[in-house]
Amino acid sequence: MLEVNDIVTAYGKIEALKGVSLSVPEGQITVLLGPNGAGKTTTLMSVAGLLKPKRGSVTFEGQDITGRQPGTIVQRGIALVPENRLVFPDMNVHDNLKTGAYVRNDNEIESDIESIYERFPRLKERYHQHAGTLSGGEQQMLAVARALMARPKLMLMDEPSLGLAPMIVEEIFRIIHDLNQEGTSIFLVEQNANMALKIAHQFYLLEQGLVTFSGTPGDMDENEVIQRAYLGTTA
Amino acid sequence: MDYVQAIVDGLLFGAVYALIGIGFTLIFGVMNKINMAYAAASFAGAYVSLGIAQVVGLSGDFGLPPFVMFLVSAVAGGVFAYIVYLICFRFTPDHYELASLMATIGTLLMVDEMVVQATNGEPQNYPEVLQGIFDNPMLEFSEEFAIRGDLLTLFIVAVIATLGLLWVLFRTKLGLATRAVAQQRMAAQLCGIRVDRTNATTFVIAGVLGGLAGAMIGAVVGTLLQSLVVIPLTIKGLIVTVIGGLGSIPGAIVGGLMVGAFENVFLAIRGVTERDMYVMLLLFVFLAFRPQGLFGRVAVRD
Repeated sequence: MLEVNDIVTAYGKIEALKGVSLSVPEGQITVLLGPNGAGKTTTLMSVAGLLKPKRGSVTFEGQDITGRQPGTIVQRGIALVPENRLVFPDMNVHDNLKTGAYVRNDNEIESDIESIYERFPRLKERYHQHAGTLSGGEQQMLAVARALMARPKLMLMDEPSLGLAPMIVEEIFRIIHDLNQEGTSIFLVEQNANMALKIAHQFYLLEQGLVTFSGTPGDMDENEVIQRAYLGTTA
Repeated sequence: MDYVQAIVDGLLFGAVYALIGIGFTLIFGVMNKINMAYAAASFAGAYVSLGIAQVVGLSGDFGLPPFVMFLVSAVAGGVFAYIVYLICFRFTPDHYELASLMATIGTLLMVDEMVVQATNGEPQNYPEVLQGIFDNPMLEFSEEFAIRGDLLTLFIVAVIATLGLLWVLFRTKLGLATRAVAQQRMAAQLCGIRVDRTNATTFVIAGVLGGLAGAMIGAVVGTLLQSLVVIPLTIKGLIVTVIGGLGSIPGAIVGGLMVGAFENVFLAIRGVTERDMYVMLLLFVFLAFRPQGLFGRVAVRD
């Protein structure tokens, strides 16, 4: 579904990605693990169009989307749930969801919001509240819901469990699992390797801007995965 | 000396300060940057409307109906604001924090000089197009107190313009995009919003408000004089914005009315030469005791 081909993405002269290749198959949950600074977020941003790779290509459903505008990429069916959620703090929940549907021009937006409220009753209770006043878990749900409003075929998620209480983390992972069951493909970046591997169909290890391992959760000893996901091989 | 009269006149006239303040605050809201050339560029719109009126004349056969003056000024204000956006923001590298600010200060001085060149630095009579809609004075309550018809018209026009802006911001897709960019730029991009287009539109909207404000100032005062309008009103607009709280529209409205009333009281007490000194004093009081302004947030790390 998504093919990332040998991309190099740099901040100024520093190359954060030094030739990353990976593929995300349709209907699956693909997880990207790796220590801080490995380039996980940069990878997602390069796919979503926030960063333009210097080299290499990104294709989605066979079409080249390298370096396209984020709006074009959302329209093609890729939505990113960013790290730290990044909800619109002074907008109410309802307007946050409407913004998620910004690229759409159909007349099913309001009915989609209704079905979002059925899926996330907590958001319905707080539909008129400013997003900045929600708890961390609620903000994460809102960020996921906002991405869903674009009706994505593939959802990119950047550390959705970051800074959340364990119970909320379980809820978030259950939501990810459910979304995938309903047909949305998931590309998930996580620090919480334990939880991520439980729902992953396949995973990649990213270290210092390079993919160093790819396989399914049974392919590598779990202790080794966790050590490399947190500390890298050099540790 | 009638303070009530001074305060009411000041509050009504303060509506144009509020419009200018809203313009500054809108631009700051979406870009997080100050556009020093904003007020000057949009007042240039008022000079354009004046120029056209001088060529074709007012009313009569082929003349310009008064409301067209406002329309021309507003449109020209929007066009100039867009040019400022292109020069100072779009094509100025945004990773140098001060580059845009310096560019806008340069543009402010350039606009000021262009107005001097065009007018020889002399005051230009501006047609009193706000007269005639209401009797002047319209409401005479007593010997000492009356509401000026032209000021009332100005106030109503400013209120309509502000309501129009709020409608755009809170009831349209364009407004949704503007608020999204102002609150969380990266998330707005991820939702497919083009930040550069939103910025440009915001500049145009602010410029339209400023052009309108410029025309109304000309109409109420009866003249446009560069040395009293271009830079002094830029500074007053900034003061309004700081008092109201940078980025806050309600703040700009309250700040504008407040500065209008405040300066008019001191105009009555101390005369025109000292008036602005007290406005500056008000600014310092705010900077010392409430630097975030009336409606601004205390800066916190996020």
